[in-house]
Amino acid sequence: MGGFLAVAGSGAIKGLKTGAMLLRIMIPVYIAVVLLKHSPLMGFLEGLFAPAMALFDMPGQAAAPIIAGFFSDEYGAVAAMRGFTFSAATATTIAMMNLCMHAIPVETAINRKIGFPAGRIIVFRIALAFGVGLLTARLGAVLL
Amino acid sequence: MNAGWDEIAREIVSGSLMTALSLLKIIVPLMVIIEILLAYDLARRLALRLGWLARLLGLTKDALLPLLVGVLMGVTYGAGTLIEINRRTPLSKKDFALIAIFFYCCHGIIETSLLFSMAGANLLFISLFRLLIAAAVTMAAARLPWIRRL
Repeated sequence: MGGFLAVAGSGAIKGLKTGAMLLRIMIPVYIAVVLLKHSPLMGFLEGLFAPAMALFDMPGQAAAPIIAGFFSDEYGAVAAMRGFTFSAATATTIAMMNLCMHAIPVETAINRKIGFPAGRIIVFRIALAFGVGLLTARLGAVLL
Repeated sequence: MNAGWDEIAREIVSGSLMTALSLLKIIVPLMVIIEILLAYDLARRLALRLGWLARLLGLTKDALLPLLVGVLMGVTYGAGTLIEINRRTPLSKKDFALIAIFFYCCHGIIETSLLFSMAGANLLFISLFRLLIAAAVTMAAARLPWIRRL
């Protein structure tokens, strides 16, 4: 039992350290998104992305976490999502799309380094995100 | 600006605190789970029982452990296991390609599902649907001629 507690304790400490590290990215992303949301720019961006987001039954605002996740990572996407109020169906669709397609610049650099076909992988992930997004939006409308 | 500055500042402060709290509520239990999985070698025990899954996905038996580790705990742990296994018994290029394809569709499922549920996504839906998609894509890829030839 002592062994188990030591294992769990070291996990908890790692969790706190990892959490502190992640929050150094998430909080700035969250603040940036809240400021963007209240700025006049948001209305313009919403209008710009509304038609594309409508394909996935989502409001134009959903573009913000999708773009944040594309360039940063899943944590950035979640921080951005928390700046808005989305329905469960929309949040699930955003999650599924981001899980297929995230951190593209960093992961492309890694793929190049280990000799993976970086260009083909980007195309695959974007196609996957769109396919999965369409599917999730349809299923989510029924299930969620 | 529709809202006043003090209103925005209040939203930022309370929202940041709530985000920090929610993240810690997820990441601390997650790291505890990962440490337990590691300490008791649970992924290896699970891999021993899932030979049928390896066959279904077109993988060899040895390739299943890194896949399970990556799917349960995250891609860095999965890659570490992959390197370790490959040093002992080299895996085929086909195994590498299929593991990479599965990982691109789905990895770190405990972490990411909890994380997105913190932003209102449906936990069960994203966990199961992602596993299904990854399995379907990998099974299809395993049967493509240019991957079979690897």
